[in-house]
Formats: sequence, structure tokens, C-alpha cells
Amino acid sequence: MAARPVSKSCQEYARGVAGGLLFSLPLLYTMESWWTGFTASPEALIVYVLGTFALLLGYNRYAGIREDATWAEVVIDSVEEMGLGILIAGGFLWLLERISLAMPLAEIAGKVIIEAMAVAIGVSVGTAQLGGGEQGTNNPDTQDHWAGEDSSEEYRFGGQMVIAFCGAVLFAANIAPTEEVVMIATGMPTWNVLGLALLSMILGAFILYYSNFIGADRVMISGDVIDIIFGVVIMYAIALLASASMLWFFDRFEGLALITCVSQTVVLGVASTLGASAGRLLLQ
Amino acid sequence: MKQKKNWLEWTVFVIGLILVGGTLAYLSYDALTAGKAPPNLQVVLGKPEPRAGHFIVPVTVINRGDQTSEDARIEVRLYDQGAGLERAELEFPFVPRHARREGWVSFQMNPATAEHLQARVLGYRKP
Repeated sequence: MAARPVSKSCQEYARGVAGGLLFSLPLLYTMESWWTGFTASPEALIVYVLGTFALLLGYNRYAGIREDATWAEVVIDSVEEMGLGILIAGGFLWLLERISLAMPLAEIAGKVIIEAMAVAIGVSVGTAQLGGGEQGTNNPDTQDHWAGEDSSEEYRFGGQMVIAFCGAVLFAANIAPTEEVVMIATGMPTWNVLGLALLSMILGAFILYYSNFIGADRVMISGDVIDIIFGVVIMYAIALLASASMLWFFDRFEGLALITCVSQTVVLGVASTLGASAGRLLLQ
Repeated sequence: MKQKKNWLEWTVFVIGLILVGGTLAYLSYDALTAGKAPPNLQVVLGKPEPRAGHFIVPVTVINRGDQTSEDARIEVRLYDQGAGLERAELEFPFVPRHARREGWVSFQMNPATAEHLQARVLGYRKP
């Protein structure tokens, strides 16, 4: 068992940096996300870091670059990616003058953490997905062989859910902190919200089951209507869950009526749906 | 194909571990020790400086509380012979906990020759 050549690791890191910036630059350039850095309580930040870590573990386990990875390797990779995320976010925020040494440590740490977690997921996706050749990540054969006896229907299903959740978070994270979500949600009649929810599900159904999207054959089991409804409902549930957790984190629910919270979740849910359907297919 | 990690990957891992561990340790420490006191803004006025046709006075706001203040409005009044002759106002969008923010107010009269300047915080809200 030889060590991987250093040049190959460097390529992986370069892809990771590219992916991190590609997916999270909008968030780095969003002022509400900087503000969350100093308004969020330390407890919320801890939950945020641990939640992201869980997502990274899940993503690296089910869609990561090394398909034969053991749990220990998955943990090591996730820590690496999170560290890279912190470095990239810190460097960028410093370059953009959003953090400086004159600020209290709490403010610097908060801002870096908020951005770093999104960057870390981008790093993970970039490392695994942006590579050319020999990775074989899109090869269903390797998918099956590495999973060993785990490669059951339940296992595949679990993996799909984890990746869908990652996709939802990755795509919706760029919108979640903005004021626009609450602005749209409060200005919309309930019928429109309902329409938006239906539209999201239809969009998801088309992406997953109709448009011959890349990798869509993986989620397509038999193609009968019951299966499609089953898949779409689960996908939308994951999208709503991802939306609600992000909105909760960015403190968008505080002091609002239940209907406004639900409307916001649905409004952001359009982005999460795209992530959980199209994003999911692209991420594996 | 299984391959062992090389020295570069271990180095990145160790740096990552330090950053992630440090972050979690710092947050836990902060969560355990930070108070919940509302924003507590202290205003410090600097030395007035002449500008073309007016005078500017540096204003520093320090939040000694444990929560961030949003849209804090600061009023500075210029008093001479016991009467408030001029007032100026400025707003700070955010002052995070324990952070300081700086700005300036301007006056027509020379604050240096006036009796005194008085600053007060008009109000602020929870973000």
C-alpha cells in the first residue's frame, strides 16, 4: 500500500479550493452573512459547525472521492476540508476588509465560521466532483463494489437522502441569509406560497424523473407513478427540512407568526429543491 | 485502489484539526463564559479638527454589553454659556459585542472654543 503521490494531493487541494470558492463566493459577498457572524450566539455557531461536520461526513461517505474509504479516512478528509474552509474563508474575508485585527476575536471568529462552513462543503464537492479521469466517481460499478455487503437498497436510499440534503444546503445557503426571503414571504398571499410549493415539487419531478438529467438513472427505480410520487415527496421534505434549518440558524423565525415562517421555508425551498434534485444528481 | 496518505495530506490534516479543534474550543469557551447583558454603548469623543467651513469631531462607540446593537443613534450637543447651541447626530448600523466603531460628527461652530460637548446614545435595537 503505497502513499499517494504529493502532486496528486496538490491537484486535489487545488480542486478543493476551486470548488470551495465556486460554490460559496456568493455567500462571501453577502452582507447578511457577515452580520450573522456577530449576531449569532456561540451555541448556535457550535450547532452550525457540528451540523456542517455531519454533512461533510455524510457527503464524503456516500459521494466522496475515495470510494473505498473507511470511516476513519472519511473523518480525516472531513477535518481537512473544514480546515481548508476556515483558511480560505479567513483569507478572503481579510482580503475583502471584512475582518481585521482591530476587531474583537468573537466578531472575527463568527464571520469566519459562518463563511467557512459553506466553503468547506464546496471544497468537499470540488475535490470529489471537479476531477477529470481515473476517479471513477461516476462509475456505478465502483459504487457497488466499495459498499460491500452494505450495498443494499436501504444503503443506496440513505446515501441518496444524505446527498440530497447536502445539495439542498449547498444551493440554498447562498440565499438563506438574505433579507429577500422574508421580504418575499411577507409580501405573498398564501395561495402564491401554495403555488410555489407545488411548482417546486413539479420542478423536482421533472428533473429527477423526466428530463434525462445526468445521473438520473440512479434515482429512477421503476418509473411507475407511485415511485415518482414517493421520490418527489421525500425530495421535497428534505428540501423543506434544509430550508427550515438554515432559516432557523440565520434567525429568520424569531418573533414571527407560524404562517410567515412556513412561507419563508417554502420560498427558500425552491432553491433547496433545485439543490436536492438537480444538485444531488450533479454532486455524486 | 487503496493508497496511504502522504506527508502533505497529514500536514493539511493536522492544520485542519488545529483550526477545527481551536474553533470548537473557542466557541465552547465563549458559550460557557459569555454573559447575556444587553448592548451597553459607551461614546467617546475625540479632538475636534477644522475642515473647510466646519469642524469635525471623531466619535468612537464601544459596546461593552454582550449583545450586538443595531441602528444605534448617537447625538452630540455643543453647549456654550449653558445653552445647547448646535446638535449633530450619527448612526451606527451594527456595533457587535465588545467591538468599537468609529465615525465623525460635524459642527458649524468651533467645538474647541465652546464650553463643552455632550454625547448621548439616543437608542438602538436588537438585530
